[in-house]
Amino acid sequence: MQLAVNIAVLASIYALISCGYVLIYRVSRVLSLAHGELMMLGAYGLYATASLFSGQPLVAVAAALALSLLVGVLVYVALMWRMTGESVLAAVLATIALGILLRGAMILMFGTQTRHPLEELGWTNASIEVGDDARISGVGLALVLATTVCYGLLFAFLRMTRWGIRMRAAGQNPLLAAQRGIGLHVIYALAWGLATLTGGLAGMLIASDAGLESTMVVIGLKAFPAALVGGLDSLAGALLGSLVIATAEVLMVYYVDPLLSDVVPFFILLAMLVVRPWGFFGSREELDRV
Amino acid sequence: MSVPRASGYFRTRYERDFALLDTRTRKASLAAFAVMLVVYPFFAGPLAMDLANQVLLGAIGAIALMLLTGYAGQISLGHAGLLAAGAFATGILYKELGAPFWVTLPASAMVGAALGLIFGLPSLRLRGLYLAVSTLALHFIVIYLGSEYETKRGFSTGILIDPPGIGEWTVYDPRAWYFVLLIAAAATVLFSLNLLRSKTGRAWRAIHGREAVAGALGISVHRAKLTAFVVSSVLTSVAGCLFAYFRGFVSVEAFSLFLTIQYVAMVIIGGMGSILGAILGTVFVTLFPYFIEWLMDAFGLTDALSSVVFAVNYSAFGLAMVLFLVFEPQGLVGIWRRMQAWLLLWPFKQKPLAGAK
Amino acid sequence: MSDLLLRLEGLEVVYHRVITAVQGVSLDVPQGGIVALLGTNGAGKTTTLRAISGFIGLDDARVTEGAIHYRGERIENLAPHRITARGIALVPERSKVFENLTIAENLEAVVTRRGANRRQLVDSIYALFPALARLRAREAGYLSGGERQMLAIGSALACAPDLLLVDELSQGLAPVVVEELMDQILRVRVELGTTVLLVEQNAHIALEVADYGYVMENGRIVLDGTPERLRAHADIQEFYLGAGGGQRRRSYREVKQYRRSRRWYG
Ligand SMILES: Nc1ncnc2c1ncn2[C@@H]1O[C@H](COP(=O)(O)OP(=O)(O)O)[C@@H](O)[C@H]1O
Ligand SMILES: [Mg+2]
Repeated sequence: MQLAVNIAVLASIYALISCGYVLIYRVSRVLSLAHGELMMLGAYGLYATASLFSGQPLVAVAAALALSLLVGVLVYVALMWRMTGESVLAAVLATIALGILLRGAMILMFGTQTRHPLEELGWTNASIEVGDDARISGVGLALVLATTVCYGLLFAFLRMTRWGIRMRAAGQNPLLAAQRGIGLHVIYALAWGLATLTGGLAGMLIASDAGLESTMVVIGLKAFPAALVGGLDSLAGALLGSLVIATAEVLMVYYVDPLLSDVVPFFILLAMLVVRPWGFFGSREELDRV
Repeated sequence: MSVPRASGYFRTRYERDFALLDTRTRKASLAAFAVMLVVYPFFAGPLAMDLANQVLLGAIGAIALMLLTGYAGQISLGHAGLLAAGAFATGILYKELGAPFWVTLPASAMVGAALGLIFGLPSLRLRGLYLAVSTLALHFIVIYLGSEYETKRGFSTGILIDPPGIGEWTVYDPRAWYFVLLIAAAATVLFSLNLLRSKTGRAWRAIHGREAVAGALGISVHRAKLTAFVVSSVLTSVAGCLFAYFRGFVSVEAFSLFLTIQYVAMVIIGGMGSILGAILGTVFVTLFPYFIEWLMDAFGLTDALSSVVFAVNYSAFGLAMVLFLVFEPQGLVGIWRRMQAWLLLWPFKQKPLAGAK
Repeated sequence: MSDLLLRLEGLEVVYHRVITAVQGVSLDVPQGGIVALLGTNGAGKTTTLRAISGFIGLDDARVTEGAIHYRGERIENLAPHRITARGIALVPERSKVFENLTIAENLEAVVTRRGANRRQLVDSIYALFPALARLRAREAGYLSGGERQMLAIGSALACAPDLLLVDELSQGLAPVVVEELMDQILRVRVELGTTVLLVEQNAHIALEVADYGYVMENGRIVLDGTPERLRAHADIQEFYLGAGGGQRRRSYREVKQYRRSRRWYG
């Protein structure tokens, strides 16, 4: 039972992170390897706004979320739009370089010690009983809820709203989208903004649970296999992939060896690449497009 | 690609097109450069010695990656994993069997070849991003195996290795290392240049251009890809083996993803598709932190930032990489070529032809 | 004669700086007219349309000479989105719909020009193409060729263009379907007041709806005139309408004669 709860929480973490990979990839065919750093930046954003708006935790959270969105848009405007039309490698490397830059800048600004944004907000991470013999932390519960809400909103956005539909259209056929008057730069900037927003939210929640330190980048990287296993261009796939990876990871760590934690996602990733490289829900042509 | 030449030089036979060195000027400048390299250690101080050794060692790995990415067009994010494999093969053989370097070196090469095959297999089905990701996954798996070995055998801080040697003579002091590494690096350069003008090298360039066309021309795409991965990994593992001896110490911490990024940066900053680029990139990336430290000294910031020097390095390195990607995608070698063309054409400052970039 | 909407003057387009695909092309499209641009494969029709709509940079092509006047303004060097915003919409030859989006979403995704009433426009598009209204919720990837073409035209019209550029409407479609589409093009002009530049290989069909026609070959305009005149022209009869039925096939010599005489029209 406790295992099931752990799986749910871990799957939520991965899902919340991996939807960022999916959004950016689906819209602009770029793989962002700076996602972990952007998550961390989001968490530091919460830490900063928490001390700025002390006493008003909700305002602080809202401000931190807005900040994340802004950072994502800024990343596109300042860097990634110059990479449109460049090779896949160049775009991925640009995100890697951005990640290194951000990592250094964050240490310069915030130092190296572990931070606890939750305390700064004045909240505590209470533990809640689930059923007879399992417990879930308050933040864990918030993670599950946040992931559910985020995915619900994202699905609704992409299906029902005009800009969501345009986003899907631009991802499918950018040339036609441009011919129909859709501003690709706006769409790409929006995708980066949303991806950074969800990633930042994940970062904030993870930092609230486990403290804010540089290991978060590794979590960000581990969520990437979840996105790929599900199919890089499918949100539903990211959800399923996260569940698969989280299940495997929790079970392996519990029954076999804790050291496996960092490799299990990548083992599954390799297995998937051998058997079905386009993922559970991805479209097959994707392979030839990159 | 070729740079405008001084007049009076004509190729009279097609074989001349394949020559590694064609003009007298080039031969002379290479000879001068070689002499400089040989006398360098007799003038250099300890820091300069250490830097030179790091550059030479790094160049082997960078050339290996250049062959794979810059020439054959296969993206790899598993370079640190391959270096780690070579280093761990050496460390484990030394620790478990007390093997001397003339056993560990070929053994590392063999481990490299095997891993190259494994790393290369996904490339038969995957391209671009997916390939990058699969090599990244392999990196994590190699690192996992290494740390597993460290913890299981109780070397959780790393494996210590004695300096290599034959009989009484051991390679210990920096000057001795310099010559060993110089020979290794020179051999790598020569080997690579020769390979590139052979059938294999041409096949790599062809699959880089367009796989389908290469296949239609009768090139075995699978074979070309696998040889690219195997050759590159063998060189990388050998570099890993040398690294282990040079440091006298092997530990997974040394082979983080950041190391991969540094090697990729060497290739990018140096300039894709050029051995000279790989070397220039290595020099740049190796000297970069020292340059930053020097800058910090010059601005009197060392004390203020002493606790976060590595963070300053990180950001500056990321920034340099971004700047190169955005503003000089051809890398240092692009700058070098333009300078050369400018000097050769001076004072007749025509623009080079548009296609001659 | 009514006002000119579009005028090409001695247009030259070069791909990759070396391949001249279009040379010295001049043509006029009057406001509210339907003009046909005819020609065989590789004549340079698509290139001309791309040059007008501005989407040639992506194929590494450039307008090297000549001018494109649209409402009296030179547009040959404008960015594509500015041209779109001025009311020129292109129905491309290939990949003309968003395959994974439903018909309704395909129309929804389009950015309508400022000042146009979007809802009314979409309603009139559905009225023009009842098939689209019926299949509203179907993914475009599952449509038949004719329906797909209707959707392509519909989604271009949803931009509220003044000038509609249509590339090879009849390509790969059954004659009945093409007839229907041509009728709809006529209705588009009547009901929405849109001017149309119709690129076609099938001269027969195009000349039925057009007010004026141009014939292109090897990147040049070789003939132009009213549909009656073009239809009557022996060369058109021979090479585009497949006429000369019952008569003997023309000899190679006569074909060469045609090629030579054709130059004088350019
Ligand atoms: N992307 C391209 N690159 C180079 N040449 C092209 C390209 N597209 C078209 N062309 C050349 O331009 C000429 C005209 O082509 P196009 O405009 O497509 O003709 P049409 O649409 O009349 O069949 C052809 O000779 C073709 O080879
Ligand atoms: Mg065409």
